[in-house]
Amino acid sequence: MILAGVLLLLALILPALPLGSWQAFALDTAQFAFLLSGLALSWDLLARTGQLSLAHGAFFGLGAYTAALTAPLIGTLPSLLAGAAVAAVGSFLLGLATLRLHGMYFAIATLAFSEVMRTFVLKAGFTGGSIGMIVAPPFDGRFPLGGYYLAVTVLGLCVLVSYLVSRSRFSYAMAAIRQGEPVARVLGVPVVRVKLLAFLLSSALAGLAGGVYGMKTLFLSPYDAFSLGRAVEALVIPIFGGLYTTTGPLVGGLLLVSLETWLRLRIGEGYLVVYGVLLILAILFLPRGLVGWLSRRRGGGHA
Amino acid sequence: METILQTLINGLLAAGVYALVASGLALAVGVVGIVNFAHGEFLMLGAFVSYFLFAAQGLDPLIALGVAAIAVFVAGAISYYGLIRPVLAAPELNQMLLTFGLSIALQNLALLLFGADTRVVSPPYQGSTISLLGLSFGVVPFASFVLSVALLGGLYWFLGRTRLGFAVRAVAQNRLAPGLLGIETQRIYLIAFGLSAALAGIAGVMLSVMLYASPTIGFAYTLKAFAIIVMAGLGNLRGVIPAAIVLAMAEAFVSTYVPGGGGWVEAVFFLVIFVSLTYRSWRFR
Repeated sequence: MILAGVLLLLALILPALPLGSWQAFALDTAQFAFLLSGLALSWDLLARTGQLSLAHGAFFGLGAYTAALTAPLIGTLPSLLAGAAVAAVGSFLLGLATLRLHGMYFAIATLAFSEVMRTFVLKAGFTGGSIGMIVAPPFDGRFPLGGYYLAVTVLGLCVLVSYLVSRSRFSYAMAAIRQGEPVARVLGVPVVRVKLLAFLLSSALAGLAGGVYGMKTLFLSPYDAFSLGRAVEALVIPIFGGLYTTTGPLVGGLLLVSLETWLRLRIGEGYLVVYGVLLILAILFLPRGLVGWLSRRRGGGHA
Repeated sequence: METILQTLINGLLAAGVYALVASGLALAVGVVGIVNFAHGEFLMLGAFVSYFLFAAQGLDPLIALGVAAIAVFVAGAISYYGLIRPVLAAPELNQMLLTFGLSIALQNLALLLFGADTRVVSPPYQGSTISLLGLSFGVVPFASFVLSVALLGGLYWFLGRTRLGFAVRAVAQNRLAPGLLGIETQRIYLIAFGLSAALAGIAGVMLSVMLYASPTIGFAYTLKAFAIIVMAGLGNLRGVIPAAIVLAMAEAFVSTYVPGGGGWVEAVFFLVIFVSLTYRSWRFR
């Protein structure tokens, strides 16, 4: 939590640092890193119940499109909330149909959901289809740093929710479900309700991050907003950083997005291969993630 | 009337390849207990093997079929040995993440190596069609259908009549008892996973002629195969064929009768998944 506080403070004063010509690039990268870390934190929230969501890219995209479409009508902040709400409604319907079933059904359904959302946005008229759509900057562009601070706020919110959940009674219910659903049920945990609530919370945060993302890129296309790459980032970041923690996705996000920015410049399309390999290696050799590995090493050093 | 018949035939012909891919996936899920998100990537491997054999050697896809089956079997066995086996005892979340990672890695590796272009294997008979009673269908889809049916027949024979097939089914039913009876469980897993990959690889060869080979082709088929095995019940091999027919027919009818249906075909599999899951979820409440 101290680390999160320091990072947040750093994020707040970053625009004031004398970085010269690097400033615009630093702010850009930082903003992406914040939003993707927020997305990763939201994914981790659901993973705590043992559910694998491959649809967080879709919730991100849903939030982005909803916010972009409603912003001219109702203003920036309400439109972001609308984006979160639409993502939450989508997750509710998906969860209702799948969360009673075995975990693998859920994973399959979320993967299918994200593919179908892309098809829908491609085919629907009001989204601009495959051409994409232009998005207005936040607050009509009155504050040049508005988007940046929105991203900081979203990340702060995600960190806060993730931290509060891990400190609450709710987290015990989540852990119980993850470790053994039948046992959790016997212990009196309302399994489906807890999973559904975690899913709602998680997708709403993902939608929120997506909304700010759209206002940052100023342009949305189905291939970008609903790309599978987003869903991959959303899950590789927490796994690499450390699952079921708040610091893990935060540290992982900042590291991996920096790496990704560099990789995109070097190899362009296909950079996701690194994420795939990283995912495999993390599952095989680093099951507790970077944070877990570091803390165990530190613990081992003292012993 | 003629349109309906033609649509039915198109659906039926497509169902053969679908059933082949989905049977492979059902084998991985049912026997090894692994939800293999990389299943379509084995199909993609098969398609590229077929393409490169054709481009370099002018090898007919029919011969490439055998080469690809063996190559992809080996690829599947290596993936099992190196990646799947270590996580067999791990939580399900880790297993799914691992295969998902494999899928992403293979897909993007192919993208880096071969680029995003689609490549078609075009033997001389590719465009020829058979006309029958006023209906026409391509030689390639027809041959693929017949081959798929034959292979599925072979698979059922293997599982139902041979000692090794019995062993595979025993391992699928119980993880511990077959070991006590002297069946080498690990070897059976290896064979089942390799076979699962090989079935996808064979389908890939067929698709390299019917459609094309590209890095992303596998992913669509992973999803369709999932739709089919979700409808059939995860790991239920027997339900795969009827489920494949339902999905293929639904897609054929959507593409014929829904205005602007071409793009919406890509959404049919989701409807199938969603409906069967909702049904299942309310029935087992």
